[in-house]
Amino acid sequence: MGEPLLVAEDLGKTYGTEVKTVALQGVSFTLERGEFASIVGQSGSGKSTLLNLIGLLDTPTAGSVALDGHDTRRLSGNDRARLRNELLGFVFQFHHLLPEFSVLENVVMPGLIGGGSAATLRARAVEVLGLLGLDGLEEKNANQLSGGQKQRVAIARALLNRPALVLADEPTGNLDTVNTAAVYDLFRTIHRELGTAFLIVTHDRAVAQQTDRILEVADGRLVQDVRDAYVSPATPSPVDGDEATEPLPEASPSGGEEATEPLPEASPDGGEHAADEPAVSGPGAHEEPERGGSAHV
Amino acid sequence: MLSLRIAARFLRKSPVQSGLIAAGIAFGIGVQVFLGSLIISLQESLVDETIGSSPQVTVSSAAEGEPVTYTEVLQRTLEGHPGVTTVVPTRAYSAIYRQGDESAPLQVTGGELQRLDTIYDLSGRVTAGEASLEAGEVVVGRDFAAEFGLEPGARLTLVRPDGTADDETVTAVVDFGAAAANRSLAFVAGSTAAEVLGQEPDEYTAVHLQVDDVFGSVAVADELAAEPALEGLTVSEWQAENEDLLGALQAQSSSSYTIQFFVLLAVALGIASTLAISAVQKTRQIGILKAMGMKDRGAGRIFFWQALVLGAGGAAFGVLLGVVLILVFAQVGTTIALSPQWGFTGISFVVGVAVAVLSSIIPSRRTSRLDPIEVIQGG
Repeated sequence: MGEPLLVAEDLGKTYGTEVKTVALQGVSFTLERGEFASIVGQSGSGKSTLLNLIGLLDTPTAGSVALDGHDTRRLSGNDRARLRNELLGFVFQFHHLLPEFSVLENVVMPGLIGGGSAATLRARAVEVLGLLGLDGLEEKNANQLSGGQKQRVAIARALLNRPALVLADEPTGNLDTVNTAAVYDLFRTIHRELGTAFLIVTHDRAVAQQTDRILEVADGRLVQDVRDAYVSPATPSPVDGDEATEPLPEASPSGGEEATEPLPEASPDGGEHAADEPAVSGPGAHEEPERGGSAHV
Repeated sequence: MLSLRIAARFLRKSPVQSGLIAAGIAFGIGVQVFLGSLIISLQESLVDETIGSSPQVTVSSAAEGEPVTYTEVLQRTLEGHPGVTTVVPTRAYSAIYRQGDESAPLQVTGGELQRLDTIYDLSGRVTAGEASLEAGEVVVGRDFAAEFGLEPGARLTLVRPDGTADDETVTAVVDFGAAAANRSLAFVAGSTAAEVLGQEPDEYTAVHLQVDDVFGSVAVADELAAEPALEGLTVSEWQAENEDLLGALQAQSSSSYTIQFFVLLAVALGIASTLAISAVQKTRQIGILKAMGMKDRGAGRIFFWQALVLGAGGAAFGVLLGVVLILVFAQVGTTIALSPQWGFTGISFVVGVAVAVLSSIIPSRRTSRLDPIEVIQGG
């Protein structure tokens, strides 16, 4: 197995100087290339903070994040921006499309920021939009789309630069159950066909169960790291935020490895973490596909 | 040029806001161009009327009453100075015109008509008759002629300083553009004046000069005074003798600059505040762009480009507006020769664009410092 895609070590985030609020502490885990993982936790547990730190949108007050072998502690703001552009794709709960631009222009934007050729990017964007079932909407304004369409455009935008890792923060938080299922099916399809790694933040355990690995965050700590959690898409997955407080299910029948055991309470000294162990690919798995290795995009 | 494309799109998608900023710049620059051109035209007209038709530098003898010997060396020195455009040696004396019980003093200047025309433009100012200055001929001002009922062909008796008198024939009546000059100036042949003053053919009362830049007359006078050929001669220039006029011109310029400064300041504040509002309105978009990897400088440039586009567009319309205003004003009942001042207009355009760009500093810095997490966390 080659170099991990993401290594978070003893990651912590404290807000404030006089009155300190610890949002995250002692979080360590590794994400391999092509993994399909989720971060679950209650509202305010620190899962979005963790995603923002991993996504280089925020800077940790402790620990480090290494992305694709880059120790991000030493990077300037512009270098962090470059890494975000080249390695990461973001899908947010509030799609965050640019209302002044058309669907196609929104999708090509990360490529243009990266300095790509407009013609090449447009061709690629049309292909990605087609993959996401958005053919014919290229010239529409982002504001003219339905919520589900907007989110799919946001996914297309996140995929344009063929990122190694897509970070999705409650990507279906504003969608109905039909669109929610469609979005996760899309994530799965993209993951399977393009080999893109996904790390999805959700408060919904049913959604998390559709991923191969579940990282549970509570009170700013990583409390569980469950692999091979993926259950059949046919399994009903009621969306109920209250269920997030229930313990995670045991490993799926295909798993049974020690990584499925609940993690010990994370300690500030970064003690023993199952998360530090090399990740094991789950079903649908992935023999370290190359970035964007699919012919589709 | 992604920043420029994004800036252009932001502008296009907020047409009212963009239009208002551009209109603000256009009106500011329009006022600037109009006011500047008006003041410059007024000053040029005033200077031309008062100084343009009179000597700007005068070379005379240091000893009062003594003539200037106009040698070839002196002529070469004066005509060879790069700042000097016209050299006219003249003879001048005072005379009194009597008609019955009435009399009027006259300042008589003698010289060749062709040379005198280069300064006084006698031929071009004729209101009656035809200018000619052969021996025994005189050209008089309009007010003087009207006061004494003189017309071309009339005989005129002038009493010289020594009490002797001679008759001259009026060939033309001219309008000098100033009542005092029209009442008191008269021109005779150089030979007539030489005879009156008892001067040799190469002797003159003074040598009158006009210069390229009327406000550069001090430097020309100083340089000429230092020439060996002018030893024993005095060089005076108009500015030292027209402090009131100079003061008026400077006051006019100062008031014009003050008005223009505050107009530009108002334009700058207007642009800065509108761009600052725009920067706040676009915070979410800038945060998203930064989250996608746009670098700080690229994000900051968006508002620089917006300001540049608005500044250039607004200033161009402003120039057009100012020039049209000046042309309309020139057509509608004014005796002053108003014309667009292209040099000043060009400067106004550049200043307008520069002010707009400077106004974008604050929003650009704010944008470049924006942390995308502020937007992402805020939803």
